[in-house]
Amino acid sequence: MSTIVYAARRIVTMNPSQPFATHVAVRDGRILGAGSLDSLKGWGKFETDERFADKVILPGFVEGHSHAYEGGVWKFPYVGYFDRTSPEGKRSPGLKTLEEVVAALAAYEKTLPRDGSTLFAWGFDPIYFTGRRMELADLDKVSTERPVLVLHSNFHVLNANTPVFAKANITRHTNVHGIVKDARGEPTGELQENTAKFLAYRATGFDLAGVLSDEEATWRFARVAQLAGVTTATDLHNPLPDSTVEGYLKASASADFPIRLLPAFAGASVPTAQAIPRLKELMRKNNDKLRFQLVKLVTDGSIQGLSARMRWPGYYDGTPNGVWNVGPDELDRMVLDYHRAGFQVHIHTNGDEASEVAIEAVEKALATAPRWDHRHTLQHAQMADAGQFRRLKALGMCANLFANHLFYWGDIHYAKTLGPERAERMDACGTALSLGVPFAVHCDAPITPIGPLFSAWCAVNRLTASGRTLGEAEKIPVADALRAITLGAAYTLKLDEELGSIDVGKRADFAILDDDPLTVAPEKLKDVGVWGTVLGGKIFEAPRS
Amino acid sequence: MTAPIPFTVIGGFLGAGKTTLLNQLLADTAGRRFAVLVNDFGALDIDGKLIAKHGGDTIALANGCVCCTIGDSLVETVLKLLDGPQRFDHIVVEASGVADPGRIADLGVLDERLVRDGVVVVVDAANVRERAADRRVGDTVLRQLQAADLIVLNKVDLAEDLAVLRCFLSTHATAPVLEGSHCAVPSDLLFGLDRRGASGKPSPANSFRSWSYSWPEPVDRAALLDVLQDATVLRGKGIVRFRDSPDRRSVVHQVGKRVDITDGGPWSDTDESQLVLLGVRPVLGSL
Repeated sequence: MSTIVYAARRIVTMNPSQPFATHVAVRDGRILGAGSLDSLKGWGKFETDERFADKVILPGFVEGHSHAYEGGVWKFPYVGYFDRTSPEGKRSPGLKTLEEVVAALAAYEKTLPRDGSTLFAWGFDPIYFTGRRMELADLDKVSTERPVLVLHSNFHVLNANTPVFAKANITRHTNVHGIVKDARGEPTGELQENTAKFLAYRATGFDLAGVLSDEEATWRFARVAQLAGVTTATDLHNPLPDSTVEGYLKASASADFPIRLLPAFAGASVPTAQAIPRLKELMRKNNDKLRFQLVKLVTDGSIQGLSARMRWPGYYDGTPNGVWNVGPDELDRMVLDYHRAGFQVHIHTNGDEASEVAIEAVEKALATAPRWDHRHTLQHAQMADAGQFRRLKALGMCANLFANHLFYWGDIHYAKTLGPERAERMDACGTALSLGVPFAVHCDAPITPIGPLFSAWCAVNRLTASGRTLGEAEKIPVADALRAITLGAAYTLKLDEELGSIDVGKRADFAILDDDPLTVAPEKLKDVGVWGTVLGGKIFEAPRS
Repeated sequence: MTAPIPFTVIGGFLGAGKTTLLNQLLADTAGRRFAVLVNDFGALDIDGKLIAKHGGDTIALANGCVCCTIGDSLVETVLKLLDGPQRFDHIVVEASGVADPGRIADLGVLDERLVRDGVVVVVDAANVRERAADRRVGDTVLRQLQAADLIVLNKVDLAEDLAVLRCFLSTHATAPVLEGSHCAVPSDLLFGLDRRGASGKPSPANSFRSWSYSWPEPVDRAALLDVLQDATVLRGKGIVRFRDSPDRRSVVHQVGKRVDITDGGPWSDTDESQLVLLGVRPVLGSL
């Protein structure tokens, strides 16, 4: 029973009765105490560890909405617009033009064996490109023999080259939604709907879902999270087939696995009568680093994907309203079933009509089966207005807001999808804070990179990629943003009594930072370096590029 | 290669009667082996005596049919079915209550072992207009109506004003409408003409008829399309020699408003154009 006391430049505890400390004592993977060195001496014999003496310690970051696919995609080259860091700590620079993307792919193609195998790349993000879309001819420059597939950053749209279209037999006569065709009726190379994309995947024998969720992908996901200071992360929508569960169990059993993982069961993937016993069975396999307990339901699509369910007046540019994945009546039934069974339900809602329907589903479930401290949580809730936040508060619900959207798509929302007024109040952290709705902010990796300090920076500064401030009134102070990525997120996952603050008895999960996020300029918050993490007392140093 | 398997999608809003329709189909298969893909077995009313094997997400029936739950991926469920040992004459998918069944029917082109058949949308006569006016689901309901190749207007016994309802449907959909209660419409119309044997009961309504035609001479394409697009012709199937492509076999497949004409290879001298139609009354004097 050894005790180690870590000295730090400062420890930001998130414990209101002792917000700051200089030392933290760790025993058996848990926090024995925090305070001054003197205040910890009474616990008996200990060793002092000075390695963090010039670092700042925060509670390990909690990513309340990410997907383990983030680990899978790093098997393949990233060709996005923004810089992004791999699980190995290598920085991939953003590609700013179509020509740069094609050149990068062509260079990568030369490194592959000459066996005709498929080249897959991801993260392609042309929304800030001026001029034309990517076409077959562009990717034919990469190869006219090897199938080339380029998945967009939204994970909904796929570009391919001529060999793929030939193999898949996609021609002007193929009458399937989502095969984009030009004015002459010829396919352009872009595939937008599941069936259209599946034609390409099938023809090339490329099993995206398979490679994205194997055990190796789980490890990469954990590493990329660890690099960002994360000690607890969700995989917030997974049908949890046996193969995936197996991978999670194996990975989480390793002492070297650097995060606590919370998969959320895809609650609409099977009827609730099957799902509930299955989830209860899975919970028996829980260990220190793996928790089955969450249920996720997806109501609408995405705002930028033009599939969000919005209330009047709808899309700013007149795009018709989006589509339901789970519609109002079905949502009522599913929420009630999971609610009755005692589960906490996380409900994906991007548009404000989706949020309204989700709030009402919880309201009805509570009327039928009153329950305390359910903490059903709206995930994204990007368009929720003050009235909806008041309802969340009244019903005991939480919100996990997609702050990263402000940066990555804020300009598009301002100009095209939402218009100025609704764009300025989207992801309304300020409203949530002032109304007392428990909230977190998130990245939705791999949609945007995992990085709680970046998410916090978004909530604090609300800057878009072009530099526009989107909603001065919804900015929140740094201290509140830091709470949202630690104790706040832990609360939305019902883990706040176990982790999320540096408090006696809690798990020794820390983010070790190079600088003090409370003293750097708020606009520099995202640039605070992450030295690594401590998980259950075990130190994980991040590789430096 | 064996003939491709017709792929039908049953759409319609929650409570419209999709499951009732599937229950009838399974109770009276007319000797055909259906694979029925549903979201939930719960509402299916399968006679326990008919169940040959219950395997969690699959129920095998003694009459050669099988029911599967769709699970997380419809694509994977369909491909698993095609790759499995059992052969089927028809695959029928029940769309979720908010899905666009037209998108699901796209899966019919996914594999050469499949052929897209119809999109049948079941409409609840008692509340479709109310649903269509609902600000949250109205556009979903109208999208489904537009995607339909054939509409089953169900629960007509509960409709308050059938004339207004018919007018509403003709405004929002171009598909022919079959009216009934408890989804009692002839399954031939919905699922095609390939009856194996005559074990099935006769169609409940006598107002539906079938006609067969054959012509030795090439046929004018526009004239044939005119006939097929007549509102009273609900289904058609055949191999036709068109005047504009006399050397090729043109395979004609019609479900409601949708007509597909595909190339069926070279024409042999001894063949005649053959066409079988199902509809509500004879209108084919022009041929």
